[in-house]
Amino acid sequence: MRVRKAARLFCGLIVAMAATGLAVSAQAQEKKIKIGVIYDLTGPLAGGGSELQYTGARIMLDQFSKKDVEGYKIEAIYADAQSKPDVAINEAIRLIEQEKVDMLLGFFSSAQCVPVAARVEQLKKFMWITTCISSAVLENKNYKYVFRPQASGDQFGMMTMDFIAQNAKQKFGKDPKDLRVAIIHEDGAYGVDVAKGNEAGAKKAGFNIVLREGYSATAPDLSALVTKLKRARPDVIFHTGYNPDITLLLRQAREQGLKFGALMGHGAGYGVYEKLKEGLGTDVNYVFNADPISIWLANQKAMDPKLPPMIQMVGEEFDKRKPGVAIRSAHVGMAASNTYVFLTEVLPRAIKKYGGVDPDALRKAALEVDLPEGGTMLGFGVKFHGEGTPMAGQNERSFPVVIQYIDDKSYVVWPKSQAQREAVLPLPKGTTYSNQ
Amino acid sequence: MQGFLEFFDIYLVEAVINGILLGGVLALLALGLNLIFGVIDVTWICYAELVMIGMYAMYFIVQYYGISYFIAAPITILLVAVLGALLHYLVIAPLLTAPPINQLLATGGVLFVLQSFATVAFGVDFRNLGIRLPVLALGDMNFSYARLLSFAAALIAMVAVYLFMTRTFTGTAIRAISQDRQIMALMGVDARRIYLVTSALGGALAGLAACLLVLQYDVHPFVGLSFGPITFLICVLGGLGNFIGGFIASFVFAEIISLGGLYSDLEWGYVLAFAFFIVMMFIRPAGLLARRS
Repeated sequence: MRVRKAARLFCGLIVAMAATGLAVSAQAQEKKIKIGVIYDLTGPLAGGGSELQYTGARIMLDQFSKKDVEGYKIEAIYADAQSKPDVAINEAIRLIEQEKVDMLLGFFSSAQCVPVAARVEQLKKFMWITTCISSAVLENKNYKYVFRPQASGDQFGMMTMDFIAQNAKQKFGKDPKDLRVAIIHEDGAYGVDVAKGNEAGAKKAGFNIVLREGYSATAPDLSALVTKLKRARPDVIFHTGYNPDITLLLRQAREQGLKFGALMGHGAGYGVYEKLKEGLGTDVNYVFNADPISIWLANQKAMDPKLPPMIQMVGEEFDKRKPGVAIRSAHVGMAASNTYVFLTEVLPRAIKKYGGVDPDALRKAALEVDLPEGGTMLGFGVKFHGEGTPMAGQNERSFPVVIQYIDDKSYVVWPKSQAQREAVLPLPKGTTYSNQ
Repeated sequence: MQGFLEFFDIYLVEAVINGILLGGVLALLALGLNLIFGVIDVTWICYAELVMIGMYAMYFIVQYYGISYFIAAPITILLVAVLGALLHYLVIAPLLTAPPINQLLATGGVLFVLQSFATVAFGVDFRNLGIRLPVLALGDMNFSYARLLSFAAALIAMVAVYLFMTRTFTGTAIRAISQDRQIMALMGVDARRIYLVTSALGGALAGLAACLLVLQYDVHPFVGLSFGPITFLICVLGGLGNFIGGFIASFVFAEIISLGGLYSDLEWGYVLAFAFFIVMMFIRPAGLLARRS
C-alpha cells in the first residue's frame, strides 16, 4: 500500500515537472516584440486628431499581430496620454519599466514628444514617432534611439509659404513684398515650430509679415486676436492650431467680420475635416491644409505595388470602425503608414540581420532603411539622418503636401508633382471671409 | 494728435465692447458659483463641469431629438438644477461640517467623475450645436449676437437673483443663513431645504450659462478647463459670495484680457489679468467691494 502511494506520488511529480518544463520551453520558443503605443484617447487632443492616429496605428498593428514577423509575435500595449505631457512621460516610463515593452510607438503632441524622447533616449530604449512634428524633438539632440519617419514642423511652415510664394503674382496680382501675411499659432512646441518655418519661408519669399502671434490653445476668447488681424489686414493667414481653438478663432472671425484672401492650416485640427465642417459649416470651403498626403489621395501608380492593397485594407477597416465619415482623415493613414514602415522595414531587418528586437538592433535596422520616393503609402521615401547630424533620427525624404477642401472633398494642390487640381485662390467673392 | 487718434482707433472701441461682451459670459458663470460660495460656504470646484453637462444636454436635445432651442433651454436649466440639488444632497450635505479641505477634495472628485462620465458616455469628439446667429454690424465693427445674448442674460439673471434674494421669503432666508448657519435653525428655518434650494438655483444658473455658451463654443468633456479656473478667480476677486463684486470683477478681468491682448500679445492679456488679481489680493484680500473693517 505504501509502495503504491509512493509510486503515485512519484508519477505525479514527474507529470508536474514535465508540464512545468513544457510550459517553460513553450514560453522560451514564443518570441515576441512588445510595443508600447501611446496616443491621447481622452482630453482635448483626442478629438483634435490623436484618436484618429491611434485608430490608424491600431489597424496596422492588429493586422500584423495576426501573423508573425520573422518568427516574432507582435504584442501591442496601448496607453492614454490624456492630452497631458506629464501623463505621457509617466505612461512611457510605466510601459518601459513595468510592462517591459521593447519599444515605444506613437505620440501625437509635440509638447509630449519633446520630453518623452529625452527620457526614452536616457533609458536607451527605441522610440518610433508616427505623428508629432516639432523640430525641437530632434534638432541638435543627436539621439541614437529616437526615429521619426514623419515630416518636421518647419517643413510644414515652409511648404505653405512656398505654395503662396509661387502663386502670389498670378493669383493675388501682387509682388511678394506687397503680399501681407499673418502668422498665428498655438503656443506649444508644435505651433511654435511650424510658425518658425512660416517665418523662414516668408523671409525667403520676401513677404510682408504684418502679424506674428501665439496664443494658448485653451484660451476661452480670441476676439482680441481677431481684432488685431482686422487691423493688420493680411492677404493670407497662416494658422497652426488644434481643433477647439481653430473653430473658436474662425467663428469669432466670422462674427467680427475678418476678411482675408486665403487661410493656410497646418495639420492637427485642420486635418479633421468632419469636425471643421460641423463647427464652421460651409465656411470651411476653400480652406488649405498642409499635412502628409492622405494615403487615399496619394498617387498609387507611382507607389511600390504592395502598398495599394494595404491602403485599401486600412480604408475598409477604418470604415468598419468609424462608419459614415465623409472624408477619411489624413491622420489615420499617417499613423498606419508610419507604423507599417516600422513593421516591414525596421523590425524584420533587426531580427534577421541583428539578431533580435533589442534597442541597438532596432536602431541599426532603422538607420539602414532606404526607401525611395513612392516607397511608403504617404508617397515619400524614408532615409534617416545619421548620428552626428543636426537632425539625427529625422526622415530626410519626408515632405507634406498642401491640400484644399472644396465642396466636401479634399484635393492635393501643391507641390505641382502631386497636384490633383488647380487651387482656388484667393477666396471667391461672396464667401464669408473673402476680402474681394 | 495723430498718435492720439491712432491709439483711439475703431479697433480699440471694438476691443472695449468685445471685452464687455466677454465680461457678460464670465459674469454669467460667476453668478451661480457666487451664490453657492456665499450661502453654503462650499467651493464647488466642479461648477464648470455642471456647465459642460448642460452643454451636452442642449446638444443632444436640439441635435438628436430635433427639439427647438427655446424649448431645449428650459429643459436644460431644469436638468442642471436637479443635478445641482443632487450634488448637494449626495456629496455636499454629508460634508457640511467637515473641514473645508474635505469639501474641496470631494467636489474635485466630482469634477473628475463628470469629466470621465462625459468621455465614456459621449466620446472625445468636439460637438457643435450648428446654430449660427447673425452678426450685428455697426460701421466697421461687428459683434456676435451670441455674446450679446450672454451679456443680456447675465444682466437679467443678476437682477432676478438680486430681486429673489431681497424680495422673497426664501431669498431672505438664504441671506440670513449665509450670515449665521447655526442661529437660523434655532429660529425655525429648515436649513436643509434652504441649502437644497440654493444648490438647485446655482445649478439652474449653470444650466443657463450652458444654454448660452453652447452657441459660442464646441462641447467636449474638457470644455470646463477653459472656464473653471478663470471663474474662480473672478469670484475671489469680487469677494466670495458678493454678487455685485463678482459682476464687476468679471468686466474688469475681461477688459484687461481684451485690451491687454490688443496692445500686446494675446497671452499678455491673461498675464496682466492674473497679475492684477495677485496685486488686488494684497490690496483688498476680501475682494473688490469688501468693506474695510
